[in-house]
Amino acid sequence: MRIPILKLHEYLLITIQVELDDQTALQFQEDLLNKIHDTGAKGVVIDLTSVDMIDSFIAKVLGDVVRMSKLMGAQVVLTGIQPAVAITLIDLGISMREVPTALDLEQGLDKLRLELEG
Amino acid sequence: MNAETMNVIQMKRSRIKELWEQELGGFKTETSAMTPHMYNELNREFLDLLMNHVSLGDISEDGTLERFFDKVLRANMPLEYITQGLQTYRRIILEVVLEEDLNKDVAIEIYREVDYWMDPILNKVVTNSSRLWERTVSIQKSALLELSAPLIPVFQHISVMPLIGTIDTERAKLIMENLLEGVIQYRSQVVLIDITGVPVVDTMVAHHIIQAADAVRLLGSTCILVGIRPEIAQTIVSLGIDLSLFPTRSTLQKGMEQALDITNQQIVKEK
Repeated sequence: MRIPILKLHEYLLITIQVELDDQTALQFQEDLLNKIHDTGAKGVVIDLTSVDMIDSFIAKVLGDVVRMSKLMGAQVVLTGIQPAVAITLIDLGISMREVPTALDLEQGLDKLRLELEG
Repeated sequence: MNAETMNVIQMKRSRIKELWEQELGGFKTETSAMTPHMYNELNREFLDLLMNHVSLGDISEDGTLERFFDKVLRANMPLEYITQGLQTYRRIILEVVLEEDLNKDVAIEIYREVDYWMDPILNKVVTNSSRLWERTVSIQKSALLELSAPLIPVFQHISVMPLIGTIDTERAKLIMENLLEGVIQYRSQVVLIDITGVPVVDTMVAHHIIQAADAVRLLGSTCILVGIRPEIAQTIVSLGIDLSLFPTRSTLQKGMEQALDITNQQIVKEK
């Protein structure tokens, strides 16, 4: 199971629409980093609107992906985190303070543009 | 009820009455606004009902006793008054009946009968009143929940959640849920949490607020904590609570100015 990564100008767009298991998440991490390397993308938006469950491992992987992408010069924004997911993450003690977030894809792209320009 | 028992009760009516008034006359009512006269009236009515009830047979068939109990409870009399009244009545009847010279078997039979007659009434009274209280409590609880944590959209992308009263764990959970649902529903980029009406901010309350703010941030929105009074600022710092992770302001007005700033909006005065 692989998660498709779309390229839009200098950004990469990912919409996660399947339930993330550990294997898929790790595969996704690898794919995304390769894609950033290949395309030289400056920004990445990961949309989690359809994800209604996240465990601590997936949360860790997502946090890692964000840091790894940053190392490669791509800024990541997480968008569309659902209330239930946010509550779970907070309960697990994961606040992902260093990760930028936005309400939806549109605002996520705005935020990316803002961060890259400013 | 056994005819013989009833006869005895009817015959001894005045004696029962005398004993009853003696026993219940001293019943103190602090919660009720009853005058002594009203209280005596009530006592008389209670006893009359009980006396008549004996000859009528069963209480549950006819609603008069229940209506009376309802009336008593509505008048703010304690439930104790009814239970004590019933128990006193039972004791007096037994005393009076046993004053008659009866043989042992008949006495036991009467005792049993009075018991059978009295217990369902007692049960019913307790069940009815506890149901009444449970209902009242649940109504109040839901009213409290509704008032507890409203999220109000004020401007485009800006919402306010005013908090009033103490925050406990249960309420904190509700606040968090309402906050997150509201952020999604109104697509708020900025949420102002106003704690002007929160009397005490201790480590636990602060912890809940920080969690809520973190969750809001995960959703992609910003939380501004406003309404921090001087004494709250002092407590927060002396407790060593770190609120520097999200913006705080002393008043809702200042918070709103910042919120407008974040969302690139401004209020312009018309010339």
